[in-house]
Amino acid sequence: MTPLDQLLALSALTVVAVWLIGNRQVTGWNATILYAAQGVLLMMMSDLGYGEVQSIASSLTFKVLGHGLHWRFDGLSWFFALITIGAAFLASWFASGEWGQRYRAAGGSLRLFHVALALNVFSMLVLLASGDLLSLFIGWELVSWASFLIMALGSATATRYAMRYVTYAFAGAMAVLMALVMVYTRSGSFEFQDFRDAVPAMSSGSLWMIVILFVAGFGVKMALIPFHLWQAKAYAETPGPGAAFLGAISSRMGLFALVVVLVQLVGVERLADLQLVFPFFSARDLLSWLAVLTLIFATFTALRQHDARRLLAWHGIGQGGYMLLGVLIADDLGSAGGLMHVFNHATYQAVLFMTVTAVIHRTGTSDLNKLGGLVTRMPLSFVAMLIGIIGLAGLPPMNGFVSKWLLYRALIIDGSPLLFLGSVVGTLGTILSVYKLIHNTFLGQLRLEHVEVEEAPSSMIWPMMILSTIVFVTGYFPGLVLDWVASAQAAVGLPVLAHNLGGVPSHKGGLDMIWVVSVLLAGFGIGALVFFSGGRSKRVHQLDNYAGGHFLTAETRYQYSDNFYPGLMHLIGPWYRKSFRWLERGFVSTVDTLSQAMQGFYRVVHPSFYLLVAVVSALTWVVAR
Amino acid sequence: MSPGELIIELFLMPLVAFVVGLGMVLMYRRIGARIQRRVGPPFFQPIYDIIKLYGKHTQISHGLIHEIGIIMAVGGYVAAETLLPVPGMSGLADKGGVVTLAYVMMIPSLGLALGVGQCANPNGSIGISRALTAMLAYDIPFILVIFGAAYVYGTTNLADIIAIQQQQGPGGWGIVQMPLLALAALLSLQGIMGKQPFEIYIAPAEIATGPMVEMSGKFMGGLFVMQCFQLYTVGVLYTTLFLGGGEYWLTFLPKIFSVVAIPMMIAFVFPRYRTEDVIRLLWKWPVLIALTGLAVVLR
Amino acid sequence: MNQLALLVALPLITAFLLPVVNRVSTLAARWLGPLVLLVTSAIGISLWSQLGDSAVAVELGGFRPPLGITLYADRLALLFALATSIGTLLLWPSRGEEWLRQSTLALILAASGSGLALSGDLFNIYVFYELVAVVSYGLIAARSSAGSFAATVRYLIVSSFGAALALTGIALVYQATGTLNLAQLSQLAPTHLNNLQGLAAFVLMLIGFGVKAELFPVNTWVPEVYATAPTRVSGLLAGVVSKLALLIIVRLLVLVFNQPEALTVMLVLGMLGVVTGELAAWRARDFNRMIAYSSIGQLGIMFIAFSIPGQAGVFAGLAVALHHLVVKPAMFLLAGRWQGSLDRLAGAARTSPLGAVLFILLALSLIGVPPLPGFWAKLLVMVNLMAQENTLYSVGAWVIMGGAALEANYLFRVASSFYHRSEQQTPPVAHRTRDLATASLLGAGLVAGAVLIMPLADEIEGVASQAANRDQYVQTVNPEALP
Repeated sequence: MTPLDQLLALSALTVVAVWLIGNRQVTGWNATILYAAQGVLLMMMSDLGYGEVQSIASSLTFKVLGHGLHWRFDGLSWFFALITIGAAFLASWFASGEWGQRYRAAGGSLRLFHVALALNVFSMLVLLASGDLLSLFIGWELVSWASFLIMALGSATATRYAMRYVTYAFAGAMAVLMALVMVYTRSGSFEFQDFRDAVPAMSSGSLWMIVILFVAGFGVKMALIPFHLWQAKAYAETPGPGAAFLGAISSRMGLFALVVVLVQLVGVERLADLQLVFPFFSARDLLSWLAVLTLIFATFTALRQHDARRLLAWHGIGQGGYMLLGVLIADDLGSAGGLMHVFNHATYQAVLFMTVTAVIHRTGTSDLNKLGGLVTRMPLSFVAMLIGIIGLAGLPPMNGFVSKWLLYRALIIDGSPLLFLGSVVGTLGTILSVYKLIHNTFLGQLRLEHVEVEEAPSSMIWPMMILSTIVFVTGYFPGLVLDWVASAQAAVGLPVLAHNLGGVPSHKGGLDMIWVVSVLLAGFGIGALVFFSGGRSKRVHQLDNYAGGHFLTAETRYQYSDNFYPGLMHLIGPWYRKSFRWLERGFVSTVDTLSQAMQGFYRVVHPSFYLLVAVVSALTWVVAR
Repeated sequence: MSPGELIIELFLMPLVAFVVGLGMVLMYRRIGARIQRRVGPPFFQPIYDIIKLYGKHTQISHGLIHEIGIIMAVGGYVAAETLLPVPGMSGLADKGGVVTLAYVMMIPSLGLALGVGQCANPNGSIGISRALTAMLAYDIPFILVIFGAAYVYGTTNLADIIAIQQQQGPGGWGIVQMPLLALAALLSLQGIMGKQPFEIYIAPAEIATGPMVEMSGKFMGGLFVMQCFQLYTVGVLYTTLFLGGGEYWLTFLPKIFSVVAIPMMIAFVFPRYRTEDVIRLLWKWPVLIALTGLAVVLR
Repeated sequence: MNQLALLVALPLITAFLLPVVNRVSTLAARWLGPLVLLVTSAIGISLWSQLGDSAVAVELGGFRPPLGITLYADRLALLFALATSIGTLLLWPSRGEEWLRQSTLALILAASGSGLALSGDLFNIYVFYELVAVVSYGLIAARSSAGSFAATVRYLIVSSFGAALALTGIALVYQATGTLNLAQLSQLAPTHLNNLQGLAAFVLMLIGFGVKAELFPVNTWVPEVYATAPTRVSGLLAGVVSKLALLIIVRLLVLVFNQPEALTVMLVLGMLGVVTGELAAWRARDFNRMIAYSSIGQLGIMFIAFSIPGQAGVFAGLAVALHHLVVKPAMFLLAGRWQGSLDRLAGAARTSPLGAVLFILLALSLIGVPPLPGFWAKLLVMVNLMAQENTLYSVGAWVIMGGAALEANYLFRVASSFYHRSEQQTPPVAHRTRDLATASLLGAGLVAGAVLIMPLADEIEGVASQAANRDQYVQTVNPEALP
């Protein structure tokens, strides 16, 4: 058995074991231990992550209908697998303590939850290991249905949106299958290598078709515009730790598949050669703009959410845009930024979903209109969220900044000011939105009913703290992650980023996060010195305060999220037109009308009339030939 | 450069920045006074102010985050100064670059936002919502300018940008090479500095609104220090990008003071725009100018 | 090899003996039918293992063609004969008051179905086809309700017209060639039937036999009949009988009407079937009608698949047909307690958890989710469609994809409603054990198919290559006839 076989077998075993243990409190702990064991097995393959080994194959191969099916891990798969297993480990840990007790007491089945989670991990590993287009498709479908399972565990709303997901995802899968078949007719097999060899000979028409189909199919999972409507609510309503897991990695499977197909197989240069009728606008530009528009639309939709989980889920959609954009720039900096962002996003998104879940656990709500001031009650959760939002906003010193820096640097070198502007607009929108999140949850006025709230239990705090540490440490020493990113780049044939522990050395403007973060910390130190050199300050109660000439009381609530940015909304509010929702509705009603027409056809009273028509027209056709 | 020298530079740069920043605050007040036909404050007034604020008896804290917010606001700028090369000192210019600087400059805003948020005062929160909105407004033209400059010079390293301009003499300065971008940058500086007509988010004239509402004593003092740094930072950044930086302090100081003086003069003759008008204005003219400028330099 | 005739004769004789036996012992009569079908199935399986790659032709009564009745058994024919026996066994009518009549009819259906699969000449095919039709009227009308009678009458009318058309087609063929033996027709076709008359004959037969194969546009009887007939009968019609009609058309295509025009007609009608069926199903508010419409769509896919020229088409079509043969009856078995409005099904998973899981499994396979067999069948169809030069085939591929996307939507809308707890209404009662057991058996077969996909695919490919082999057919039936 190769190490990959062992990993896949253990992952499958996790599913079975969790199922057998059943709906009990220990299920979560067992699952957590099994994920840790998977992590150990993955670490035994860490040569992949450091570029010392090109690929590790699975000994499992099939030949069905003459198509070979095989599985293997390379640097890219290892990188994604690391995030997957890490996210599952921490999410499962988070779910094992008090959260699990509460969930079970409320009638949820821990067995179902953990089986769904383990199934997700297993299917993702299978997808990541795919060694040819057919196994890629099989893995893809497994992932789709596994994530449907975990989404459908949530409330009725989640099920409704999970249903929507199934519709989108299966239509997308059909698009992928169509593309696969088109590739097959042109290359004669489903092997990666044959596809790559056949690309130069393909006409631009058929390559356009193939690219569009692949992007439509895999884009559904990434919630790329215009396939984004399902994701936010489906993820948001998934049971807490499940949402953290999905938010961290699930959508990135779409990115993985796109990287494999577009970058590794078709090649970004070929995409740039595919010109639209209008000159200077290639397939690559089209996709880059899709990525940037996804970023902007999703971020500014997040800005309008009242529910913390939906806000985060919308940001998850938006951040996917950065990743795709980075990969499409396809130079060493940009693609490293895109791939590194996958890791960074997974870490801070998971910690953010976890803090929100912790808040729900303690207060029972994630409605931003009903929270506030919790920093005094849940300081550790606050710290975790603060680190998370700085990461999400992409400010130094957290890791989110490094990947965005790489992306910006690449865009400057590439000379694409509008894409650059788009990504910065996304970042600024994110800052606005995450400030609203932390302000309305932890800052501002503490409500009377939350005065007695306690800090989240240790089973929740630990994973949150571990993740926040990762967010900070990989921001301080980005080289830790860039090592893996570099071997992932090498695996898909991208130029490899020259890097060191602190970042990117370059005589044209590099980045050394060790220095930057150090001076930042030193700056804070000086700031603290300057500040505390002043006289003693007096702590006052939050209501020992006045506004507009009146003293504030507990009745005067001002924590609100509707129209938090009135000035901005006054201007851009009318730009929210729900166009995509209209588009979707229009499509559905078209299908509905057609469907009604078809039923009309089948409801006819005199079926023999059709027979007559059919015969007459068929014979006419025969004679007329 | 030996690590020891570097460490010394890293200490000196913020210190110089602070001193120069005090001078800029003084200039700001003097300009205001001249325009309003007043005499204006004495030379050491900024220092007196800081001492006074720190020495206040009543200092209201609303919790640790309130204090950390101030620390972040000052600390962010202290760090930013080390990324800005000045004559004789390059600091961390080769390790950060202009993009990093632009993002480090957002940290004080975030710190201030956190600190004010903790105060549980509705007026403070309103002020922060305005401040962040204004950031969204002025950063868009500003970032376009940074893009253009970095693209034209082919580097994000500010020390290199200065070197390139100085090699070519005044004819090679950014303001000559890309006048439109320089103009757009000047307009967005007005927003970054929070001066009229874009000062609604600071609202210094009204006690009961804006982010400063709960700031007393050393909190206000911290923000005063931050303002010194802020004026210095924007002045130096603009000079670095468009005016060839400075070979000597003697030529450098006039440049940065005159850069800062322009927005200040504009400030005192303008009333105030509402938040939505701030966005509308900054998204329209500076952005259009910057995009035109970019189109010129890219082709 | 004379056991071949037993496949037809045994159920037929038993059917006529059944009332007599019932006089003697009700218990014996009740068990006789299933027992006989078990025996015929066993015979079929033993024949299958004996047959190997060869085919066999049996002249009943020793008369040589063209005069005698020829039974021809290659693996394809045997497979469908076997499917008829096993299918009837699995879907054996439930015990109502009418059990005796139902059992008799089911036995005749098994006999005539096997006969249809095994017949080597057009006349016998027609006779057996009519027999199947008559029996199915009886079976459908078993539930004495107004709706059921109305549906039956509609079905009867269309079916009779269809049979008449098929007979006209056969007459045209006979007029042109002077024989109805398929082997001889196969030899004469290139010279005698490769013309206008031949094409007309094919079109008439296609529409005629297409009535039972749910071919667009002569399939309008389907939703009403499947909605009103006993669910087991619906399963039998949708699962087995439709495939038998399809088998005839495929035989005709391979042996006699090997013309591109004939294939085009089938392709176009198949596409229309998919489009109309899936679209109509999307809006269906009734469980049986939904799966009936979906069955129209699936049959459309089969028509598209079989319209691919050469062995590839037979292979692809056969794969889809066999898959549907397993899935659709199971679906109808689940419909036993779930028939009627879809709204009623909210929370059905609580009363029938296994049923819900089975439905999801079947639905997944039906829409083609790997690694279930439905996926491999669909992949086969797609790959072969796209390999064709003619762009019409690529359109067919797109149609299948779109249909599958729609199908996923409506099937999973229903599936998720199973898990939706509704306080207002009580969920439907649990399934009958027998229905559930049979459906589980079929579901298990599906899973086994997924696991054993490699040998299964090889086996089906073998069947297809034999079925597509004209020369073997001709030579087996009439060795000295070959030039």
